[in-house]
Amino acid sequence: MNKLLCLAVALVASLTVSAQQLPDVKVENEAGKMISTSSLVGKPMIISYWSLACKPCIQELNAMNDALEEWREEADFEIVAVSVDDVRLKARAKAKATSMGWDFVCLFDANQAMKRAMNVSLTPQSFVVDAEGNIVFSHSGYTPGSEQLLFEKLLETIKK
Amino acid sequence: MKRIALVLTALVAAMTASAQIQFGEKGGYMTIGLESNNILYVNDAKLGTTYPSKFGSNDYLKLDYVNGRFSVGVQGEAYLPALQGYNDLRNNGFDKPKVMLASKYIQWQDTNYSVLVGDVYDQFGNGLIFRSFEDRQLGINSSIEGARVTAMFGNYVAVKALFGRPRLYSSSNNYSAGWIGSQYARSTVGGADISLSLSDMFGSEELMLSIEGSYINRRERTDRKIKDLYIDLVDPSGEVSSTMYILQDIYGLKTPHLNMYSARMNLDYKGFSLRGEYAGKSNDVIVGSVYSDVHLMQGLPDVTKAGSAALIELGYNVGNFSISAQMRRLEMMGTQLSVYGNIGVMGNTLNYLPALTRQQTYMLASLNPYQMNAEGELALQADVYYTLRSKQSRQRYWNFHANFSTAYTLKEYQTASKKRELLWREIDVDVERQWNKQWKSTLMFARQEWNTSHGQGAYIPSTTYASNIFVGDVMYKINKKFSLRMEAQYLLSNDYEGDWVAGLVEFNIAPHWSVFFSDMYNLEATEANGFNKKNYYNGGLSFTHSRTRVQVSYGRNRAGFVCSGGVCRYQPAYTGVNLMLTTSF
Repeated sequence: MNKLLCLAVALVASLTVSAQQLPDVKVENEAGKMISTSSLVGKPMIISYWSLACKPCIQELNAMNDALEEWREEADFEIVAVSVDDVRLKARAKAKATSMGWDFVCLFDANQAMKRAMNVSLTPQSFVVDAEGNIVFSHSGYTPGSEQLLFEKLLETIKK
Repeated sequence: MKRIALVLTALVAAMTASAQIQFGEKGGYMTIGLESNNILYVNDAKLGTTYPSKFGSNDYLKLDYVNGRFSVGVQGEAYLPALQGYNDLRNNGFDKPKVMLASKYIQWQDTNYSVLVGDVYDQFGNGLIFRSFEDRQLGINSSIEGARVTAMFGNYVAVKALFGRPRLYSSSNNYSAGWIGSQYARSTVGGADISLSLSDMFGSEELMLSIEGSYINRRERTDRKIKDLYIDLVDPSGEVSSTMYILQDIYGLKTPHLNMYSARMNLDYKGFSLRGEYAGKSNDVIVGSVYSDVHLMQGLPDVTKAGSAALIELGYNVGNFSISAQMRRLEMMGTQLSVYGNIGVMGNTLNYLPALTRQQTYMLASLNPYQMNAEGELALQADVYYTLRSKQSRQRYWNFHANFSTAYTLKEYQTASKKRELLWREIDVDVERQWNKQWKSTLMFARQEWNTSHGQGAYIPSTTYASNIFVGDVMYKINKKFSLRMEAQYLLSNDYEGDWVAGLVEFNIAPHWSVFFSDMYNLEATEANGFNKKNYYNGGLSFTHSRTRVQVSYGRNRAGFVCSGGVCRYQPAYTGVNLMLTTSF
């Protein structure tokens, strides 16, 4: 048994894999249309998962929205806010996103296909994705101020 | 255990091989996600709690390999043993340590079509007739083990079809002998969904209009014997007068086929949206409903009934103003994955009928959540949002939000009064103010009213309880690294457990650390709390680094419903140390 586990671990360790990429999943946009996540690739982006019941998620998105004008002076990028609220809360999530004036690309992942494909267990979780669609950084949880770390990682991606 | 390790090893080996072959230009990649929830239960004389096992641990390891359009994955789960309150699991043998291969899939996704073989997670429309999903907080996994095909034609017709057997933890009470400990129902589920975008067909840019339809079939043999299924017959005084055992005859169900269908329409035009869905189902077993209890008391064992549901959703979003409303009518829509599975077990559900209420996050506002009544309910909810943002500074704004939700019984036999009764009503208002870069405050008021009978029949006393909840929440950002957040809450009520008070303090050091302490105190000794005023405290620490988060907390937790997405799981009271780890790479 132990030998088998060791073998499994060794095999995982020996994987010669390239960087994780943004998975191609169908997800609903603000207009209610299903789009492919591959259509987002082309610009660096911060992808941030949220739900109405997740207070720190909304804090993080608000903090990024507040800083957006300053950040955009330094870099051309998008913020993609992915709501994982189920179908009952989807309309309310859309209403919240619109009323908050979030200058983001808002996606609605009601049955969590995108969340599952990106292996997200808990929200908040945010990803920094480069212009080629490679995921270069990810962060779980939110503490006020940690949005700055995401932006720094995004800038590193652009400078490379 | 050995089998699981072998399967995992084989899959990892296959992934390695694929990765080295380099199918696409960029090669493949693998992701691994781990979530581990552990509780060490501590005896607490004040709560009077005893535990069959002192330790519980629910662990999930998910591995995915993606190479271009090809992907493959597995999810392993370990229950060492399952946490208290996860009764679907604990009654199915997971009260002892167990490791299992929970789900697996292999998928090819092309631009216009996809094929998946393995465990399918999907939803048709609003889920009124079908939703298979995983919710670890609730302990639900209703994935369908089988296959799914999706296809897109001409950018305006989308079709999907699936078939398989549902995942279901059967427990010892009702299921056929010899089936306890299985992970799967003995039913099969098949269905198809079609969506036609009329606006894409006619090239409309501003108006979006689509019509959709779905069909679901559940097939299950009706001749199996049921072990120990019984129904208590209750006399008018509330006492159990006799017990009726039903064996073999599956309540008069004439066919192994259950058919469900739904028709939908979606319209979006310049910020305005209108969505509607109507769903129907053929005759199905309705044991456990008030209707069937009344029927059985009359000596009529034939308890099947057809069901229907209607949902309308309206929305209007313009600038910083948004309004949305949903109305829903349900009649006999509770649908099991298996008619032999336990009644009322959360995981034994083929469709998705969440409560149409606001999902509260503040402690005292979520003490007594509403639970949907699938047998008969008329429900409505509405939200209004408005944000007033300073033109000089993005860091200054007011955000106003109001929510109203209500639900009523549908049928006269659901209540003692033989009239339509209020099941739930909530009105809440919250005002959020970002004063500047440092200060932010939120004030919330909520009034909740609920019926003690829950529409569960004429013999359950029907009284309306009311609570008024006041919340203040302040955040102070000391500098770029340090911040402090505080909550003060009060629940004012003459009913049930009386008044409550609660508070929370949270100190954060960005981007890694957070420390918190909360306390919730029931100020009155009432019959509902056993004339025992209780204090529920909780303190903890969390550390986050990149994709890894660890949280340790210690506290006393109230018995009640843990809700996620409008579905609730009963969690017994406990005191203990909680360790939670999530990571992915």
